[in-house]
Amino acid sequence: MEPTAVMTDSPCAIQIRGLSKTYKTGFWFTPKVTHALKGVHLDIYENQAFGLMGLNGAGKTTLIKLVLALLRPTAGSVMVLGGSIAQRSVRQQIGYLPELPYFSKQHTGRELLEYFGSLHGFSGSTLQHRVDEILELIRMRSAAGLKVSGYSKGMLQRIGIGQALIGKPKLLICDEPMSGLDPVGYKEMRDIFIDLKKAGTTLFLNTHILDEVERVCDRIGILHEGSLKEVAPISKILESSVPVDYWIDVDSGEAPKLSGIPFQEAVQKNGGVQVSGLVLAETLSLLTSRKAQVKGVRPLSSQVEAYFLNAIGAQAHLNRPRMGTP
Amino acid sequence: MRRILAVTTFTFRELLRSRLLFVWLISVIVLCGLDFLLSILSFGSILQIFMDLGLAGMEISGLLVLLLGLAVTYTTEMDQKAIFLHLAKPLTRGEYLLGRILGFFLVNCLVVLGMGLVVVGLVIFLGGGTVPALFYDCVVFILLEMFVLTTLGLTYQMIATSMVGVVLYTFFTVFLGHCIGEVQWLLNQEMSHWIKVLLRMVYYILPNLEAFNLKDRLYDPNLVLGWAQWQDILLYAFSYSFVVFLIGWINLEKREFR
Ligand SMILES: Nc1ncnc2c1ncn2[C@@H]1O[C@H](COP(=O)(O)OP(=O)(O)OP(=O)(O)O)[C@@H](O)[C@H]1O
Ligand SMILES: [Mg+2]
Repeated sequence: MEPTAVMTDSPCAIQIRGLSKTYKTGFWFTPKVTHALKGVHLDIYENQAFGLMGLNGAGKTTLIKLVLALLRPTAGSVMVLGGSIAQRSVRQQIGYLPELPYFSKQHTGRELLEYFGSLHGFSGSTLQHRVDEILELIRMRSAAGLKVSGYSKGMLQRIGIGQALIGKPKLLICDEPMSGLDPVGYKEMRDIFIDLKKAGTTLFLNTHILDEVERVCDRIGILHEGSLKEVAPISKILESSVPVDYWIDVDSGEAPKLSGIPFQEAVQKNGGVQVSGLVLAETLSLLTSRKAQVKGVRPLSSQVEAYFLNAIGAQAHLNRPRMGTP
Repeated sequence: MRRILAVTTFTFRELLRSRLLFVWLISVIVLCGLDFLLSILSFGSILQIFMDLGLAGMEISGLLVLLLGLAVTYTTEMDQKAIFLHLAKPLTRGEYLLGRILGFFLVNCLVVLGMGLVVVGLVIFLGGGTVPALFYDCVVFILLEMFVLTTLGLTYQMIATSMVGVVLYTFFTVFLGHCIGEVQWLLNQEMSHWIKVLLRMVYYILPNLEAFNLKDRLYDPNLVLGWAQWQDILLYAFSYSFVVFLIGWINLEKREFR
């Protein structure tokens, strides 16, 4: 991917200031308090794709709901597209895909899209045209006449994405857009995102999928236990030197040459050896000096994954020898 | 306006396809059965029985459809959070609520008027009689009552935190709203000041559903139903609904969707 420069001078699509959210649950005699977000500051620039990553329960969905005013903040403020989300004109320019999109089941996919399209102000033949376009894009043409109650999870997700896109949004907010999609759907979705980005749409994605982040996003943020740990442009992460593990492949007959590599945590298996990126160069020169035939070298985890784990303080996971390496 | 209409048609379609009209069908069957039975036993005038039972049936089936519709849509919209998708769209929460109310009311009109047609048919073709003009006034009064109750029910839906809550609140409102005469009678009795204040509050907060109860006065010789009475009842129905709608709207604006 072409690394995109951070355009810090471009205007903010979403401006989050000191945003906190505390959930109070339980009964009055056994109150439970969850601090889901703790004073988050974040700017999301126009024409960029921003990926928010975090473990389950980190507060990603809470953040999105606060941006959309589905929740009220305990403290802090949010500005969206230079205004407030309460304004109709602002919501007109936003597409939103919830975490688990749920539709009343009595409608067909087409009827749902028509309905959401009409809320965006489309009508008559323009509406029909737009719905056809969307059905084509989400590959739901053939199932459009079926009632939603007969849809699979992935089909529901597709309709969810369709309704988010129907108003030609300037800002698209998706809460785990890839969930429930099959591998083909996953790639299609990624292509949709890349196309939207080219067309100048601002993307805000909540996701666990590192590959998606790497290929689509310009910047990522890492949310951990309600606090924003890191925000960085992806280009910087990809060239950063957070160590990842590598797998060095050698000819099967040369296994004896692998024994006794003097580096900590070098894990030797039949066809090769796993070493930390910190000692990759040394290991390779050692193998060369032993005249071993190195067939290839490849990273065992992505740079983004390493960065993510590093940011949330889970680096230990990464250096642990793993099961299932070849 | 176009957006409200979109919500209305959406709601209308949803309710119709939820097979709520089965309730209507069953009500019609029960009504015809009862009519048949009573006409065999011939208690009093057959025509009177047809009309009395018919009007009661219209009110009950309208109410049933309302309660079931509230239960069904509470589950999808609130429990399963389908409402997120509507509220994130360029639609104000007031428009959403109004659209829903109108969609529910349309279904109710269908149920009440459909039942009315059956009753008129029974009276004319089976009873060989004619339908007095006052019967049609009764039908309109029932529709007005349904409008008030629909607004109340959907407002409860915006406030309540469970489906059972919505159904119970609506049910008790109907029940107490028909007891308003008794409350009024109590107010004229000797009792402690505080109880009176409480009763007075109840009296003003609850809808006076007896005001819509024209059907019990179908044969009242002293009944006057002129322009002034129509003005009163229309004003009452719409102003009460309007205030309830505002309360629902304010609650929806304040509501969090976790
Ligand atoms: N309705 C709620 N009531 C009480 N606590 C909640 C509620 N919703 C979320 N929380 C709490 O807030 C925290 C953040 O939850 P949130 O749903 O934002 O996480 P998330 O990052 O979206 O997780 P996931 O990746 O699993 O979707 C969690 O600790 C969760 O328990
Ligand atoms: Mg989430």
